[in-house]
Amino acid sequence: MIRAEGVTKVFGPNPESVKPLLDQGKSKDEIQAETGHVVGVNNASFEVGAGEVFCIMGLSGSGKSTLIRCINRLIEPTFGKIILNDPEHGEMDIATMDDPTLRRVRSQHLSMVFQHFALFPHKTVLSNVVYGLEVQGRDKAEREELGKKYLEMVGLGGWENHYPDELSGGMQQRVGLARAVATEANILLMDEPFSALDPLIKVQMQDELMRIQQELGRTILFITHDLDEAMRIGDHIAIMDAGRIVQVGNPEEILVNPKTEYVAKFVEHADPTGVITAETVALPFSDRYFNRVGKEAGNQVWNRTGYSDIEFHVDTNGHLVKMRFEGNEVALHELEEKVTETGGAPERHTDAAVHCSSDTVLKRVLRGRAYSELPVIVQDAEGRLQGVIDEPELIHGILEKQGYAQDD
Amino acid sequence: MNDLIPMLGGSLGNPFELIDMPIDDWVTQFVDWLVNTFRDFFRTWVSPPVKTVMEWVQWLLTSTPPLAVLAGLFVIAWRAASWKVGVFAVVAFAFIGFMGVWEELMTTLSLVITSVLFCLIIGVPIGILCSRKDMTYTLVRPILDIMQTTPPFVYLVPAVMLFSIGNVPGLVATIIFAMPPTIRLTNLGIRQVPGQYTEAATAFGSTPRQILWKVQVPLAMPTIMAGLNQTIMLALSMVVIAAIIGAGGLGLLVFQGLNRLDIGQAFVGGLGIVLLAMVLDRITQGLGEKAPGSRASSDD
Repeated sequence: MIRAEGVTKVFGPNPESVKPLLDQGKSKDEIQAETGHVVGVNNASFEVGAGEVFCIMGLSGSGKSTLIRCINRLIEPTFGKIILNDPEHGEMDIATMDDPTLRRVRSQHLSMVFQHFALFPHKTVLSNVVYGLEVQGRDKAEREELGKKYLEMVGLGGWENHYPDELSGGMQQRVGLARAVATEANILLMDEPFSALDPLIKVQMQDELMRIQQELGRTILFITHDLDEAMRIGDHIAIMDAGRIVQVGNPEEILVNPKTEYVAKFVEHADPTGVITAETVALPFSDRYFNRVGKEAGNQVWNRTGYSDIEFHVDTNGHLVKMRFEGNEVALHELEEKVTETGGAPERHTDAAVHCSSDTVLKRVLRGRAYSELPVIVQDAEGRLQGVIDEPELIHGILEKQGYAQDD
Repeated sequence: MNDLIPMLGGSLGNPFELIDMPIDDWVTQFVDWLVNTFRDFFRTWVSPPVKTVMEWVQWLLTSTPPLAVLAGLFVIAWRAASWKVGVFAVVAFAFIGFMGVWEELMTTLSLVITSVLFCLIIGVPIGILCSRKDMTYTLVRPILDIMQTTPPFVYLVPAVMLFSIGNVPGLVATIIFAMPPTIRLTNLGIRQVPGQYTEAATAFGSTPRQILWKVQVPLAMPTIMAGLNQTIMLALSMVVIAAIIGAGGLGLLVFQGLNRLDIGQAFVGGLGIVLLAMVLDRITQGLGEKAPGSRASSDD
């Protein structure tokens, strides 16, 4: 959908002159010491697929805001290409297009949400939302219809005639979001949209964004300095440090396998429970960790090595058909049935266990453990027993962000 | 050695006797040249529009019955500011009317309205141009300084030479004297619009013209209105001076009263000007506070 190739932004009197230094691979600090030029973005390349949420994460000063502004040329990139793949016009390089084309692309293909909302204070909520449509030259009736539709979508129906200063921060950013999606641009650039909001409102807005995204399926480039936020909403994450993109990957890859010390430092403080999947931490069901103790009604009976009180009865297809705890059969439930979105009361059953699919995140598994004291059963796509998650796996998964078994 | 002192004469320690810059002669020659060359131009191209607008405004104000004028004034003041300002405006104008100088009040009001109208028509576009290019403002700024600081008496005479006596030279002098705040504050207002708003407008694909008219000018409105307020006050302060070269109205009352040592008449004229100034000030301040862009101040 959109692709950045070697995008570089150098601030200073003669930005082109630092090209040789950049080519030598000198760092931002070295170039600044040598020439006085500040390298905002250094050779950033990435690709965002259609319908994907791509997060760019970095601390302040890492160049992420500069990079996103290079994409729609609010800041002119010094070098590099920004390829927009538009079904109507094919591939276009935003970096070199003329002003009228750039304006057309901005108004029809790229829209933006800002950290401090940047709602026009002299316009009502509705006129703010339809601003992009006004620029597109749509007629008034169509504008207002679309504007109302998108205001409704962000949960602000009925606020059309209020002014931005009458709204709370969270509501203002909903307007900002409605303004951006209303142009029906397929690419949304979001520059730390939720950073200025309270933590609770922030999480609410992330959910809201994911809900809207499910409905609209836009391509989103999302800037944040909050790794948890990036992990929550990003399909892919690029981590920036000193103007460079140091790692690109999906949330779990970055969490489990940080490539540089810088990324590792970030990841250390991230909350892994929403990212790491059951598959990663589960103790694999294999004879390395389990002992076959007998046969019953045509099914094999297994114990986990060292835990003889729980029996796993597995049929010839690899499905778990029965589970016994201290000699009593326990009920098997689907995890999602027993654990609601909001939590579900912890009951700590010993007469029931839950099973989940391999891509369930750790947070849900923990909720499953709140329901039952017995290990959570992990099943693969065909419903076969893939592994189990008991306390050692959970503790290890949260602290080390990797499987317990992989250690030995 | 001793010969040197007489040679330098009395000029030792006083260099000003050595060089004589006849600026006064130059200016006289320049004004003569200007008047001779451009008198026809000014009388055919500048005078008629100013005169026509003035006459039209004056006709409107004097042919309307005073009660209707008072009613209109109330509505304008109420809409622009508040009903309190409306009441104040009506009381102040009625007071002037009861002093027996309603006609003069209307003439002065027409002079002010006309000159302020021209200040806006000329000043706002210049202010906008200044805000877009630093170079323009660098060029315009010294001219504004000259326009604002030159005592008006200095250009009254050339104005009369160009336009002959009457309302027109008074108006032209008033326009020149009162325009700088409009230009300065339009420029300032647009420059002060926070970058985040122009950035947002740019990101949505606006043309520079759309950014100017949909974002910058509305957000600069409170400041532009402050400029309008100052322009009106400066225009009022010129009405007495303009009376010297034949403009009528309350200023003429003051000027004649002083000439004839009729302190009472001068006081009536002066009081009328003060009340008119207060009314116009309250109304334009209200305009600034109610301008849509004034919401910007409460934002972040």
